[in-house]
Amino acid sequence: MAESICRALRDGALEGEHAPALTIKDSIASPFGFHVFCHVLSQLSSFILAGKSQSGGLVVVSFSRSPSFYLELLKNKGIDVVSSDKRIQILDCYSDPLGWKDRLIEAGNFTALSHEASNSSTANVLKDVKHMDKLYNSIVERGKGLIGGGKNRFSVAIDSVDEMSRHASTSSVAGLLSNLRSHDQVSSIFWLLHSDLHEARVAAVLEYLSSMVTSLEPLHQPANGHRGDLENLSLIEHNLKKGKFHVRIKRRNGRVRVMSEEVHIEQSGISFTSLSSEGAINQGLVPKVQFSLELSEKERIDRANVVLPFEHQGNGKPIQIYDGRRSLADSKHERQVAATEKVQTNEDSGGGEIIYFRDSDDEMPDSDEDPDDDLDI
Amino acid sequence: MVMEDAEAPHHMLLLRNFMSQGLVHNQPLLYASPAIDPRGFLGTLPSPAASKDEKSHKHDPDQEKGLRIAWQYKKYFGESQLNFDGQRDGKHEYSNEFDLRKPLERHFLSAQRVDCVSIQDSPNLSALQDRSATFLSQYPRNDGSISCAGRIAIQSFSAPQCAYSNMEWDMLSFIRSLKSMVRSSNAVALITFPPSLLSPSFCKRWQHMADTLLSVKAIPDEDKELSQLLTGYQDMVGFLNVHKVARINTQVPVILDATTFSIKLQKRRFLVLECLNQAPVDGSSGTSYGTSGSCSGSSKTGNLDF
Repeated sequence: MAESICRALRDGALEGEHAPALTIKDSIASPFGFHVFCHVLSQLSSFILAGKSQSGGLVVVSFSRSPSFYLELLKNKGIDVVSSDKRIQILDCYSDPLGWKDRLIEAGNFTALSHEASNSSTANVLKDVKHMDKLYNSIVERGKGLIGGGKNRFSVAIDSVDEMSRHASTSSVAGLLSNLRSHDQVSSIFWLLHSDLHEARVAAVLEYLSSMVTSLEPLHQPANGHRGDLENLSLIEHNLKKGKFHVRIKRRNGRVRVMSEEVHIEQSGISFTSLSSEGAINQGLVPKVQFSLELSEKERIDRANVVLPFEHQGNGKPIQIYDGRRSLADSKHERQVAATEKVQTNEDSGGGEIIYFRDSDDEMPDSDEDPDDDLDI
Repeated sequence: MVMEDAEAPHHMLLLRNFMSQGLVHNQPLLYASPAIDPRGFLGTLPSPAASKDEKSHKHDPDQEKGLRIAWQYKKYFGESQLNFDGQRDGKHEYSNEFDLRKPLERHFLSAQRVDCVSIQDSPNLSALQDRSATFLSQYPRNDGSISCAGRIAIQSFSAPQCAYSNMEWDMLSFIRSLKSMVRSSNAVALITFPPSLLSPSFCKRWQHMADTLLSVKAIPDEDKELSQLLTGYQDMVGFLNVHKVARINTQVPVILDATTFSIKLQKRRFLVLECLNQAPVDGSSGTSYGTSGSCSGSSKTGNLDF
């Protein structure tokens, strides 16, 4: 499933369509969002450098990590950003997002440390809309710088939408993301969100804006109120290494593909495996109704013991059908016959009987003869 | 009003049919959307399909259900309409069949007929209100003939990228004033909005504002349970629920045979709405799948279900 997401980002957008957008969502219970983000980032980078993707470049907007972190990360995956900086650019919104250093320098209290050329994007927190516009322009500028003009496209990775939402209103963040998606030269875009840092509406907005949503959930839910319980601790520990990876993909035809996987965090990185059966959602084919449609074991046995009235029991006796008109106490003869049938059922460990109460004894029977008499079932 | 599903663009299918229908029948259109360039959407409007059989001819601007109305009437009129030759002299018959693969001819999209507004950047709704008022003033309702009717289509009204999208009371009062303007003029309006982005109380208020309320829903792909429960699951792309039907100037309630329809794209060209057919299932309670909780999703279907 993670592969299909990376492939979707690699394949990019069709002509006249919005670029595919991925939201990676996690929470404190299963905090692997950043691992997934790095995984997707390195996959997409390798696709881009190998020339297998629609996009010719990648702009990484880093809010929550320093650009050197990403350089290291990609180097570890075998991608040398420096030599391939024609393809990958990192927009540094981490070192000095609010322009404090500049102001301190102006005030004369600070000597600027040399750092790699960064383009701080937030000059003024208060002017929300302008701020997002500036960020948008810087991203697009960087992207265009990577790929040149024409029909080429670039991809965008946003480290953390949480940081963006701290500086600007939800509608301006949404505006930025949707404008990026509808830009002719953007091939694909993905971002990370920590859902418990926001109100539910923010997560809903981001899901509305994206074409693929991945969410991370813990494999096991620890029981409430028993903190410190040994069992609970081991569960929590378990949850820190593994989790469930759910994906919802909005397909072009309007259907939604839902998939799930298990994700493991190891020293070497992250790995995805299909869900083990204990976690699998397998409700069978029984429709969801409010009564039980299945039989317990005892019920199964009892059912097997019921003697069906119209059937040969295979013991050579003539079939006598109890039609409920005459009560058992009335005639001995009938009782005997009925008794043989009863005896049969009693022989088979008892309990399997069909009890038939006729509506009214005064009712004229349709016919004294059973129309199916000539059938030999 | 159409309640969108955040996971599927089916409301766009309804919008396209609504807009094309108006343009083809000489009904000017005001289109507002959160895109920066709404005119681009006009290129995707479908052209009327070449129809082989006659369609029913009921032109009532009060009821803007469009697609659904003709579908219903076809059921009742059937044979008798086949002899209705209609006007073949250049005027289009009132049609609900549109070919999504054939774009609408350019001359329908001229500026006199279509006015486009982008609602993304406006900080409040006064601009949109003014444009709507100007547009609607051209179609006053006279006691006499219906000379010309107008259509307003607003797409994704509370989309998050619009600057006013957190001003919930303002949006509500815009809808109310639009409704009153539309009532007093010869026009209909179609507004689509994503209910998942509104607070629940406002969502309810907006639903009450609507004369006719529809909702569209996405369906999961390759869902074994659904394919067992529904016939024709492979061709379906979504569900359409009718929550409320306009009852203006009448005391007779509209009782629908069915409130849930499946949305299918026949040959990827024609939008088809069909009543849901539940495949026979052992022991099922027999209720239509569409009204059960899991598919229609939200609690909205509760009070407004007919």
